[in-house]
Amino acid sequence: MAEIVVEETRIIEDPRGDGNRLWGFITFWGLHAWVLAYCVVMLSAFFIQFVMGEFPCPLCMLQRYGMILATLGALFVIMQARRGELTTARYAQGLGMGLIGVLAGAAVSVRQIELHILPGDPGYGAPFLRLHLYTWAFVTFAIVMIYIGVMLMLMPRGIPQAPAAGSAAWRISTAIIWLFIGVIAANVIAIIFLEGFAPVLPDDPAGYTLIDQLTGR
Amino acid sequence: MILLLVLALLVWRGANRGVVIALWAVGLVATIGLFRYHVTSTLDLSF
Repeated sequence: MAEIVVEETRIIEDPRGDGNRLWGFITFWGLHAWVLAYCVVMLSAFFIQFVMGEFPCPLCMLQRYGMILATLGALFVIMQARRGELTTARYAQGLGMGLIGVLAGAAVSVRQIELHILPGDPGYGAPFLRLHLYTWAFVTFAIVMIYIGVMLMLMPRGIPQAPAAGSAAWRISTAIIWLFIGVIAANVIAIIFLEGFAPVLPDDPAGYTLIDQLTGR
Repeated sequence: MILLLVLALLVWRGANRGVVIALWAVGLVATIGLFRYHVTSTLDLSF
């Protein structure tokens, strides 16, 4: 019994020991994969919006909010790790933010799936790989939920460890972080054009309200 | 969405942890509020 207590104490006090470096590396880049994946998802949504001409409905935008809220949890952990300030408690806080964010996004996805669940309903927008985008959004939220569950099971061994400052890996990490911030900024601009001077999005958008308002159409 | 952008920049700049979590919670509540605003009808489903 006494040996078990000593072993547990050693792990908690020395989460950055040699045995944990691999896990720290995996979880640090796992968080980047999370951030990058949602950047790709939202950039794909922009492609569908601007190139294919499908305007996002309010529920679509709320799913983007859920993705960003969740990914801010990952960003929070990454930045703490890069500064060498990450503790088990802060890691848990970031994962908690991520979990609540994906739960909020999943609730919106489920609502939109249910809106189009009746037989014969064509759904909103064109399907991609046989599923509509809101269904894919739910799939991504479920994947992140599972990811967070696994990360919590790995604690405290899997506390992310950042690479050396200035290294190539550090610069890749910085680039992914700024890509995410850029994607949020692009969403801000897009939503301003979609909403115009209205406080909320139109229920069934058919164009850019701001342009219509400024040109008097 | 502007709040989320500000929040991301604050996280990047290493702002106080309490401020970050509090603003994140405000963003979450705003998202839930918008969801409630846009969900105006009950679903006509029967299983």
